[in-house]
Amino acid sequence: MNTLLRLTVANVKSLMRDRAALFWTIFFPIMFVFLFGWIFGGSGDTKISVGYVDQDGTPASAGLRQAFASVPLLTLQDGSLEAEKAAMQHGDVSAVIVIPKGLQGALAQAKSGTTASVAIQLYGDPSQNQTTQVVQGVVSQVANGFNLAAQGGSAILTVSQLTLQSTNISSVAYLVPSILAMALMQLGVFAAIPLVQQREKGILKRLGATPLARWKLVGSNVLLRLMVAVVDAVLILGIGYVFFDVQIVGNLLEAAGVVLLGAASFLAIGFMLASFLKTEEQATGVVQIVQLPMMFLSGIFFSFDFLPGFLQTVARFLPLTYLGDAMRQVMVNGTQVAPLGIDLAILTGWLVVCLTIAARTFRWE
Amino acid sequence: MTQSGAPVIRVADLKKHYGDVKAVDGVSFQVERGEVFGMLGPNGAGKTTTIEVLEGLRPPDSGTVEVLGLDVRRHPQSIKERIGVQLQSVSLYPRLTVTELLDLFGSFFSHRVPTKQLIDAVDLGERAKAWSMNLSGGQQQRLSIALALVNDPELVFLDEPTTGLDPQARRSLWDLIRGLQERGKSVMLTTHYMDEATELCSRVAIMDHGHILEMGGVSELIGRRFKERAVFFDSNPRLPADQLARLGGVTRSAQEDGQTVLYSSDVPGTIAALLATTDGLGVEPHNLGIRQATLEDVFLDLTGRALRD
Repeated sequence: MNTLLRLTVANVKSLMRDRAALFWTIFFPIMFVFLFGWIFGGSGDTKISVGYVDQDGTPASAGLRQAFASVPLLTLQDGSLEAEKAAMQHGDVSAVIVIPKGLQGALAQAKSGTTASVAIQLYGDPSQNQTTQVVQGVVSQVANGFNLAAQGGSAILTVSQLTLQSTNISSVAYLVPSILAMALMQLGVFAAIPLVQQREKGILKRLGATPLARWKLVGSNVLLRLMVAVVDAVLILGIGYVFFDVQIVGNLLEAAGVVLLGAASFLAIGFMLASFLKTEEQATGVVQIVQLPMMFLSGIFFSFDFLPGFLQTVARFLPLTYLGDAMRQVMVNGTQVAPLGIDLAILTGWLVVCLTIAARTFRWE
Repeated sequence: MTQSGAPVIRVADLKKHYGDVKAVDGVSFQVERGEVFGMLGPNGAGKTTTIEVLEGLRPPDSGTVEVLGLDVRRHPQSIKERIGVQLQSVSLYPRLTVTELLDLFGSFFSHRVPTKQLIDAVDLGERAKAWSMNLSGGQQQRLSIALALVNDPELVFLDEPTTGLDPQARRSLWDLIRGLQERGKSVMLTTHYMDEATELCSRVAIMDHGHILEMGGVSELIGRRFKERAVFFDSNPRLPADQLARLGGVTRSAQEDGQTVLYSSDVPGTIAALLATTDGLGVEPHNLGIRQATLEDVFLDLTGRALRD
């Protein structure tokens, strides 16, 4: 036990003193959290700033303003026409909506049966065509609603704005546990490289000439990786909570269990790879071939449902799909790819099978 | 425990084959307590395989292999407790310091020497806090010897301890190995440097193609083959071999490292005849000298090849 502990301490010291290894095992996943956190940040909806010029200044126009203000997509900035046009030129607002004088009057005329109309003017920024179109759509919608109400009708068909996300959780909440799953996958799979390296250099063989039991050598390796897994989990979830407001709604013990099971399964995959690979170059190449497709096909960066059918089939064979799924279910109540029990069973299956293969085929020299 | 007087290594008819390759093919030898025993041979001769069988790293195919009186097949763990193995590479933890590595390795054994004492023994006091990866080649070899000594072993295996070192580092390592013998340890080393074997070993075995060709004390081996001394020189162009063989006193001629070597039982006669011949050909012999035959000559004579080829 003393030896196992000392070997583990030696492993930890070595990792702490190796900047490149530290970067890949700890800072790389953290970088991903920040990167994707900022890209998909907030609650997922983008706001468009719009200049709002009310030239009517009557109760009627105030009602219209309220209608615009209730559109979640828009942030209104009130001002005079000149000021708002200038703001648009500076890029502070993307469009300017002008309610001309005479709205109240036109409304009164309409009630008394005569037709009168007032045109809302929309100034768009020609460099932001898409935004202008969106604002135009919103303006028509609001105007229609206003017209209907003025004529005493009520809207039958309305459009509600939805985000791309079909689930009820925000993008960042989806991403944080997913990136943790990715980090654990890399932690495990990359463990193959130093093992192959040490075998190639004859270090494993030479250690065999001491009374050191092999299980302790393997055990210290496993302990180190599990410790890094816990550190990764705490850092990634902590950053998710502090910077992106992602709360872990599930049971923390359950979450820790999934983290450890996931790390162990992928470590077993790493050990199995190390049994088959002979040179460091081979190992570096194969590890990438294994980890890159998993990273992109396992629903880490975007939901599983967005994959085309045949890729979904591929994804169903990848263990990372299930670790990510289990992680999201336990941590943020994400929609599931498979029931949690199935996820855990599949991960355990990978763990047992890979470990058995590794134990039978691993060569120490 | 081994009785004093009983050999620390006893190998009889050891065979180790890999498919068709007979890496070790019927090797027998003994190493006595307190001896520095050298195993010489070119790369691929079977030295490392032999030493790895002795260290308990590979099972022998057949033959008797006893280390410290114990059968390597039945008692590998007890043997590992009592032998020291020099690690050619100490880069397992390149970012651990000399002290940390020695402490760690010490923890693998039930019996251990204090780290401070080991560091002093290999003269690494000033680098005790340096990462092993930052040591010079010679310092790394000294560290690897210190690692082999953490359990105060009775028998130390050194596998090519000075390969890749500069002459000064080699000499300092030789002093260290002689010190081991003075402290009563038995040493078995492999090398492909004949001068190293001559300097350090009380007995050597010359190995090639899985066989031991000759075994004995260094001067005994040389004396067994060479009553003659060697006359050596450079010349451009080389003199024809048949002409050299006819010179007075010459028993044999050979080319070693671009030098012509004449083995002669009558050195003054040979040199006189040589100078007369070269004069006649208008060729001047350079770096002319005389020496005793060396292990190098023995190896060349045994195998027909120079060792470094």
